[in-house]
Amino acid sequence: MRPVAEAVFPRPIGSLILSLSSAGFFERSILIGSWVMAVYGELYGVSYVLRTLDLDFAVEVAHPRVRLRADVEGLISGLGFTGFFAAGGWKKFTGEGYEVEFFVHRSGGRNEEPRALPEWGINALPLPFIRMLLDFSQPVALDTGASFRIPRPGAYFLHKLLISPRRQAKEKGKRDLDQCAALMGVLDHDTIRKVLASLRLGPRTRRVLTSSAGVRSTYSTNLRNHRLLRRTRGRLPRCGTVLRRAQEWKRMILVALNG
Amino acid sequence: MNVAEKDPAVEGLLKDEHRRCLEVLAALREKVGHLPKGALNVREKSVGGKSYRYHYLVFREGGRVVNRHIPKSDLPALRVQLRERDQCRKEIATYRRRIAYLERLLRARQRRKVPRAPGG
Repeated sequence: MRPVAEAVFPRPIGSLILSLSSAGFFERSILIGSWVMAVYGELYGVSYVLRTLDLDFAVEVAHPRVRLRADVEGLISGLGFTGFFAAGGWKKFTGEGYEVEFFVHRSGGRNEEPRALPEWGINALPLPFIRMLLDFSQPVALDTGASFRIPRPGAYFLHKLLISPRRQAKEKGKRDLDQCAALMGVLDHDTIRKVLASLRLGPRTRRVLTSSAGVRSTYSTNLRNHRLLRRTRGRLPRCGTVLRRAQEWKRMILVALNG
Repeated sequence: MNVAEKDPAVEGLLKDEHRRCLEVLAALREKVGHLPKGALNVREKSVGGKSYRYHYLVFREGGRVVNRHIPKSDLPALRVQLRERDQCRKEIATYRRRIAYLERLLRARQRRKVPRAPGG
């Protein structure tokens, strides 16, 4: 796969990814959040322009006895970021207005207390469905020689479909579905099938996955209204194409879930 | 061609960002409140032909300038804290600028949403 230009990230984020990569952080951890869409844009030509200014990482939890492997806090602070505590003692970092956050998989229950990661000297917030992103990831090489990992588009797509209705802020849920719609053209059946096979889903979550109506409606509305999208319309799939793809993926997901 | 002014995706993003900035700003302000303020000052004194260096933390308190002596053993930790405070203050300035910008944007969007009076 061709390398991605480091210029896809703003300077503070680019240097942070470079440092984490050299510390071996991405051997089992991945970049998640809206910046992944920028990388998909470079790799697959996915067009999605909205980005938030927070940088999210999903971290694999090592055995509690694992000793400190790299002082991520010191590493981030050395780049000019400053740490602070958010609600519940969750440690975040901020530099030049960008915010860095770490997440781990929450296998069940409602324990939302940050979990300590002795391997990296940080703590992370447990969230559901992070496992599917960690298990189905792909390496990305930067043109500077460094590399990091991101979720495969199929895993990212299904993750967004799953978390969209769970969002407290409805607008955020709509943006999740917008990202799904933008990704539809680059999904592969194999990844979708494998990700779905790895999940143990309840009936409610299954219904969420198969109801792709949200993907259609928000995307078509945004395609009409969105100024930024309007400027790049030539590169975007048309509403009809998205509708057709949404139906295809709905059928595919149904087959994979029931098969 | 007219473009619809109200876009829920963009507006939602701006509001989320505004909320996030306010939260970070509050957290940073709290952190700064717990860090020592002031600047380090070094005074050199010669006693009996020997030269001694004393470190003082200089800061304002209630309108007057305070010079507090810092023992040599506390210096490294204090330097780290002062550096951290500087970083925090820089970050606070960034967030305040961003909040002001986002509020201008959101106000402008609100104004655009208000329909014009007939014949106006």
